[in-house]
Amino acid sequence: MAHPQAIEVLVRRVAREVRVRRAEHWSLRGAFWGGLAAVVVLSFKAGLGTTALVVAPALVALGVVAGATYGLTKRVDPHDIARLADRAFDLADRVATALEWADHPDRTPLVDALVADTVERVSALESRQIVRRAIPVEGRWLGVPLLAGLVLALAPAIRLPMGALVDFTPSTETEPHEERTTTDPMEERSRPLSATPLKRPSFEERDFAQRSGTGSGATAGDLSAIFKDTALSSQRPDFNSFLKKGDERLKLLEQVDRLPDLQSDFTSSQYKMVFKKSKSLLSGLSPDISPQKLRELLDEMERLGRKGGNWSGDASEGMEALEGGQTDRALEAMQRALDKMRAMEESQRSGKGLRGGRESERGARGRDRARGGGEGSNGPEDQDFGEGEGFLPGKGRSTMPKGDPTARLRASPFDVGVEGESRRGRKEGYDTNLTGRAGQMPSRLMYLGVIGQYRKMMEDAITREQVPRDYHDQVRNYFQALDER
Amino acid sequence: MSQDARVEAFVTAFEALRAEVEKVIVGHREIITHVLTSMFAGGHVLLEGVPGLGKTLLIKTLAEGLELSFSRIQFTPDLMPADIIGTNIIVEDADGRKHFQFQQGPIFAHILLSDEINRATPKTQSALLEGMQEGAVTVGGASRPLPAPFFVLATQNPIEMEGTYPLPEAQLDRFLFKLRVRYPALDELNAIIDRTTRSRHVTVSRVMSGSTVLSLRELIREVPIATHVRDLASTIVMATHPSWAGSPEPTRRFVRYGASPRGAQALVLGAKVRALAEGRYNVSVEDIKALAAPALRHRVILNFEGEAEGVDTDTLIGQIVEAAEAVTASGKEVFLR
Repeated sequence: MAHPQAIEVLVRRVAREVRVRRAEHWSLRGAFWGGLAAVVVLSFKAGLGTTALVVAPALVALGVVAGATYGLTKRVDPHDIARLADRAFDLADRVATALEWADHPDRTPLVDALVADTVERVSALESRQIVRRAIPVEGRWLGVPLLAGLVLALAPAIRLPMGALVDFTPSTETEPHEERTTTDPMEERSRPLSATPLKRPSFEERDFAQRSGTGSGATAGDLSAIFKDTALSSQRPDFNSFLKKGDERLKLLEQVDRLPDLQSDFTSSQYKMVFKKSKSLLSGLSPDISPQKLRELLDEMERLGRKGGNWSGDASEGMEALEGGQTDRALEAMQRALDKMRAMEESQRSGKGLRGGRESERGARGRDRARGGGEGSNGPEDQDFGEGEGFLPGKGRSTMPKGDPTARLRASPFDVGVEGESRRGRKEGYDTNLTGRAGQMPSRLMYLGVIGQYRKMMEDAITREQVPRDYHDQVRNYFQALDER
Repeated sequence: MSQDARVEAFVTAFEALRAEVEKVIVGHREIITHVLTSMFAGGHVLLEGVPGLGKTLLIKTLAEGLELSFSRIQFTPDLMPADIIGTNIIVEDADGRKHFQFQQGPIFAHILLSDEINRATPKTQSALLEGMQEGAVTVGGASRPLPAPFFVLATQNPIEMEGTYPLPEAQLDRFLFKLRVRYPALDELNAIIDRTTRSRHVTVSRVMSGSTVLSLRELIREVPIATHVRDLASTIVMATHPSWAGSPEPTRRFVRYGASPRGAQALVLGAKVRALAEGRYNVSVEDIKALAAPALRHRVILNFEGEAEGVDTDTLIGQIVEAAEAVTASGKEVFLR
């Protein structure tokens, strides 16, 4: 069933009224914002000239037209219109219900009566405006931009400050040079120059020893003389002259490569220096081994060997091989020389009789080892293994892959040391790489220091998936049990 | 019969019945209208008021105006469910054989007056539950239908709380409306005095039969309701729930439990009756607003704070209706949206 004509007519009429009211509403808003834009344009009347007088009213008109167009074209819901008509004409929702139920699939016979009743009532209505006008907030303030625009249009143009970017192009004019010694660049330019030129500061010729000694009333140990040195405080420092004149110490600072490496050079022996250089040469720090560096190194080793070592032959062989272009042979010879050099260093340290740990608490196993294996140098524990070789599983060249178990704690962990068995060569610990005789003795470290290292090793091993996943909890529980003790 | 004639017949019957009741009852026009509205909507009514305001008389008069059976139960604490529903008794027939025979209770009537219903125990009160909702009672495993139309009108006294059993929420929810009978105005009181202290006897005519009531109930359900009016009813019911996001602040503060879906049904059905009684073919927003209080006041359960501060349920529902109207689109300007 189509909507009855009377209801349709009423809805269309009210919808048209709504659109007109919307157009009024939105055109007022558009006029306000257009007026604001016009004020901005008129503010630049000086620059724009007569164009501003044309653009400003055009902006207002554009705002009005845009607002009115938006209000007119905005969608109007017929059911909303019907409800509005119901309220306005006291129709008790008849129009809205009839409009909705006229096409309803579940419509009852009573709906026909409703539609007929509604049509009858709507036909009897007198045509009147039912949608009240709604003035937006912008509409109440519309006069402000319009009045401001009118004033700006009639008033003379406002001179706006002319700004320009800084010209960085080189100037052809010669700039006046100022003597750097006559003015202080840290002072403002506008500051008037003093009649008397600044005195060249004299403290650059002095040192603190002289000042402390020349104090008039100061006695020995009187620090107040330093802080009351009014001669210094009254003069301004002239850093420019200081830099201009230069300082030998500053020049020294520039030659950083000539500064001594106090930590490595003066605490190491000559042999250690050679070790270090050869290590850095062979450890891959430089992708290509420079023959020149290798030659220098072999030359140094040969020189050291002539002083009392037995590796000068190896060094000479390396030199010959290098001369012949056989770098591999030269490296092997240098490796042999290095091994001999290190063995001699170890033997010298052992000969000094250094002992580590508490000798009285050392177990019988340590003494047996000192008696039996300590003398000879052919046992596996006396060999100095290379990098990556040793007792640990997978390292090879070991008859005792795991070693003896570590002694258990016997007291409070706060004053107990852990006795372990040290070996030669590089250890899998963080700071237990002992060399010389101490390396052959049972290692005793404070428990609380060791447990932290091993806990960190445990975490690293678990992180690197070196421990099977199923054993993670077991390992962690073990360390947790150690903490609880 | 045309639709106009059907509606006209409803309006005539409604007015005639109200006129018959008003022959006896002075004032209380709104109460009478709501009682009739509930009857045509197929619901039950709980009348609450102090003694002597004519609650029982109103119901008796209504029953006299209808060609329907009427029974009255005076609820007391020792009343048992069997006293309401009935029971199986052993009877002996002409041949001397004994067998059980169901003896119907007073509930088997078209109009049941449950006087002072809150004086009976909850066990007895709940004997009415099935009958009020299903229109049938179950006795001895057999379901027995009640006569149609079945209409329960219960009364309760709000001030004599000694020895009473407040109706449980499930029982309250069965009532379509809860009506508060208030004191008559001065002129109404004078009319009551004049009418009841003379020797003239007022006769109430039977203006409507049970079948007419049933046919008019069918007509009620044909009344269309617009979407926005239905939405308003739903929103009002939802706004009685403190947990609902759109509920107003008074609801969240004073209400413990809100109305059930039966509340929305009561609201819409009552609104349809009201619309038809006014000769309209559709439900309006005003119908919903007018019936919000009688349909929801017994379904909104106040919390402790509401009880302690003496919050009036009707005032609370008025605030809820206002809030719901603001939430729905019916209260907004059309052309600004």
